[in-house]
Amino acid sequence: MPEVNYKVGLIGKLDMLKFKNMPKVRNAAIDASPSTPLKGIEPTNEKAKAHHPKQIEFVIDDILQNGPDAKTVILKKKDGERLPLFRAGQYISVDVPIGTTHTTRSYSICSSPALAKEGIYHITVKRDDAGFVSPYIQDNWKKGDTVIASGPQGHLYYEPIRDAKKVVALAGGSGITPFMGMAYAIRDSYEDFDLTVIFGSRTEDAIVYRKELDEVCAACDKVHVVHVLSDEEKEGFEHGFISADLIRKYGGDGEFSIFMCGPQAMYNFLDSEIAKLGLRKKFVRRELFGAIKDPWNQPGYPEEIRGRTFNLHVVQCGKEYDIPASADESLMVACERAGLVVPSRCRSGECGWCHSKLLSGDVFIPEKTDGRRAADLDYGYIHICSSFPASDVAIDVPAKPVDTQ
Amino acid sequence: MPKYDAVVIGAGNGGLAAACRMALAGKKTLLIERHNLPGGCASSFRRGRFEFETALHELCEWGTAEKFGACRQTVVDDFGVDLKGHIVPENFRVITTASDGKTKIDATLPCGQQPFIDAMEKYVPGCRKSIEDFFKIGTEFHEAGDYSLSVNGKTDPAYMQEHYPNFLRLGSYPIDKVFNAMKMPKLAQDIMGTYWGYLDVAADKLSFLQYTNMVWLYVTYGAWIPDKTSHELTTGMLESFRKHGGETWFNCSATKILFDDEKAVCGVETTCGTVETKHILCNANPTMVYANMCPPEVVPERMVKLHNAREYSARMFVVYIGLDKSAEELGLHDYSVFMPESADSVREYQSGKTIKDNYNMVSVCYNTVNPDFSPPGTCVVSLTTTFSGDDWANVDEEDYFKTKNMMANRLIDRFEEKLGVTIRPYIEEIEVATPWTMCNFVNTPQGSAYGYELSGWDSMMPRMMMMGTEFPVKGLKFVGASSIRGDGYNSAIFSGNTLARKTLSEMKEEEEG
Ligand SMILES: Cc1cc2nc3c(=O)[nH]c(=O)nc-3n(C[C@H](O)[C@H](O)[C@H](O)COP(=O)(O)OP(=O)(O)OC[C@H]3O[C@@H](n4cnc5c(N)ncnc54)[C@H](O)[C@@H]3O)c2cc1C
Ligand code: FES
Repeated sequence: MPEVNYKVGLIGKLDMLKFKNMPKVRNAAIDASPSTPLKGIEPTNEKAKAHHPKQIEFVIDDILQNGPDAKTVILKKKDGERLPLFRAGQYISVDVPIGTTHTTRSYSICSSPALAKEGIYHITVKRDDAGFVSPYIQDNWKKGDTVIASGPQGHLYYEPIRDAKKVVALAGGSGITPFMGMAYAIRDSYEDFDLTVIFGSRTEDAIVYRKELDEVCAACDKVHVVHVLSDEEKEGFEHGFISADLIRKYGGDGEFSIFMCGPQAMYNFLDSEIAKLGLRKKFVRRELFGAIKDPWNQPGYPEEIRGRTFNLHVVQCGKEYDIPASADESLMVACERAGLVVPSRCRSGECGWCHSKLLSGDVFIPEKTDGRRAADLDYGYIHICSSFPASDVAIDVPAKPVDTQ
Repeated sequence: MPKYDAVVIGAGNGGLAAACRMALAGKKTLLIERHNLPGGCASSFRRGRFEFETALHELCEWGTAEKFGACRQTVVDDFGVDLKGHIVPENFRVITTASDGKTKIDATLPCGQQPFIDAMEKYVPGCRKSIEDFFKIGTEFHEAGDYSLSVNGKTDPAYMQEHYPNFLRLGSYPIDKVFNAMKMPKLAQDIMGTYWGYLDVAADKLSFLQYTNMVWLYVTYGAWIPDKTSHELTTGMLESFRKHGGETWFNCSATKILFDDEKAVCGVETTCGTVETKHILCNANPTMVYANMCPPEVVPERMVKLHNAREYSARMFVVYIGLDKSAEELGLHDYSVFMPESADSVREYQSGKTIKDNYNMVSVCYNTVNPDFSPPGTCVVSLTTTFSGDDWANVDEEDYFKTKNMMANRLIDRFEEKLGVTIRPYIEEIEVATPWTMCNFVNTPQGSAYGYELSGWDSMMPRMMMMGTEFPVKGLKFVGASSIRGDGYNSAIFSGNTLARKTLSEMKEEEEG
């Protein structure tokens, strides 16, 4: 017998009966409930689904030339409905099928969040002649075509709880796009902060969004733009590269957050400039690094693999493939070249969307784009967009996800 | 068509445990998961130099190096998962106003029965006996549970009456009634009830049996966290599954369950193809599965009624914060602090129905227990509140970001005020998860994390007592928070393990004809 004895009712025996009766009580509750058909989706899930679609079908509403080598594509939701509201600065990952290759590229949404209600996002695609996708888009996309993309992604957006009231945005070339979105968002009262964009271009003629930037600045006293020309010296423009001094000059004495978006070379240059400012990490935020195209220039690269081709064994949802993989390109690119459809979004090692199991072999992962979770390192999980084969390799890759009920 | 002995739908804690158990028994098992990661709720994500724990505050039933809890036995001994972690030395600190509406409560309760009892006596002089008895009753409950398991649920009533009379007498009551019967001082009841939010049922409906069981386990075996977040635990289970021959398809959703002429499961249709199987262990929510994935004629009317009678439980709201100062520098010493407006859980539960009224919250600072949880000179704090209603369904998308931040600001302000600390200027990374976020990542109905409300008629004990009739569709069993033992890592793992064992014995019977 236990040493303590409690009862709740007056008679312990009845308490016990009550215990024994629990199934009866439960059955009674079940019996009393209606047999109306069960609801297959709840309102919160509906809201979430509309806000976080896995993919969106667009139709190209128009394409506008923007500066000498950029085009702005106006995407309209195919069913005419509203698009998910995004945080200005976010991007979409656009599916680009080219021949048998199924690849994706990220483009910042450069229009106002207000247009999302009308089912419209703008993206701007700058031509990079050495690239695979941007010339293809520029030469092939036309009005009326269907485009499939992810929902809004990414973390380069203003967070009032975290960021300083003033943001100094450092933009290079097409890196202006997230800040266009932010400028419109401020103008249209979706965001509330001071935005000073220091915008680097080669020449005055090469400036994208010149007119639009001028217009937003005129319409809204919280947005300022400083143009910096690297290849031209002109009155009314700063000259050279974006430097610590320039940031100091326009950042002022108070607290400010730096947001950066531009080519990798710009980040590499700015890293040392920004270091001179002695800012805390929280005040320096950068857009995705982008896919690394020169792994051999990254610290730790095993020089002997450069130029070699390995066998890549891919397991994907019950199917298996053997494909060639160049040590100069990521495992993701190898899969795409071979016509496999794999999950991809940021292509910078950051978002984890391409999280896969390394079954065997060695890979090289540049430190700059190593966004793995700690336990992944113990258990051999990798992000294939930022892993380069260093031997024959076998991986288990997830499917590209689709929306379901 | 590929054929499997069993298919597990969903790789949350429940699904992972079920999958491990099946693979360990040598069964050809397929695990499918709609997301690209294992874990469901139990995961992690990275922002900048921080990795955030998505859910876990305290893992229950883990134990110490000398004394293994049942959950640890399953995961470490049985599944062979190698895990490193820290024991949480304190169960909780609670800062609130007593249910009398006046008395201020600020109490810190250490793990271990004796230290816990001593601390309670310090805060509420004269309560010692009732707390001691509470733990004695807890021990009795625990032994009754072990006995029941040892005889496979076929308990002998006379034996039960003789050895576990409190279990039988108190087991059907809510905690408020039993605490009163035990003559526990009201202030002590207020403190002892602190963990109600872990089950999201207020004291007037919260099963004394289930609650005591949970508190007893937390205090007796201590609480535990893995060093590298829940992702270490769930990836560890996934790897054990793979090692034993299990196959996994990620980014793959089950869309339809297939049945034969006898209304028994014969396969699953997924977004990555159709597979044949006679046994499904399902970690996806039963209501959703019955409604969307089964033809109506195979779903017994009783299941429709049962699920119409149930309410979803605990829609989560979490603010994840990475700070660029150490916990010490910021004066953060407590691991987990409960800060409801009032110790009156009935009132708090009501306030949890709307965004406007919900001022409840629990904070966790991981670095106070694991100093290496984030880079040197930084620390991670998460602020969590649960919603007992579906107000987030009323938020218009246009107001979503504003509502999110309004709620996050409320929690940050309260955290600073209640603990007398300043964290705002040091926020380097912040992410806010709402019930919408939960819907997106785990796809539970209404963004709930605890399955169905464990209140009164549908609490753990009656669910367990009726396990035999709980899964009437042949070949389809549900595991995880919505299953027989309710929410929590340990309970989800328990249900996965238990129902996989049940499936194994059914398979054996089938083989033997
Ligand atoms: C913020 C927060 C804090 C918490 N704190 C704690 C704590 O401190 N201690 C504790 O013990 N518990 C805690 N919990 C509760 C605990 O996390 C859950 O109760 C438990 O993890 C639930 O496990 P589950 O097995 O039900 O799986 P779930 O996590 O619900 O996972 C179900 C899985 O199934 C997948 N799925 C769904 N539908 C399909 C389909 N059709 N096809 C394929 N896959 C599908 C989902 O993607 C998901 O991965 C917390 C939860 C949250 C959210
Ligand atoms: S696509 Fe984002 S990490 Fe690979």
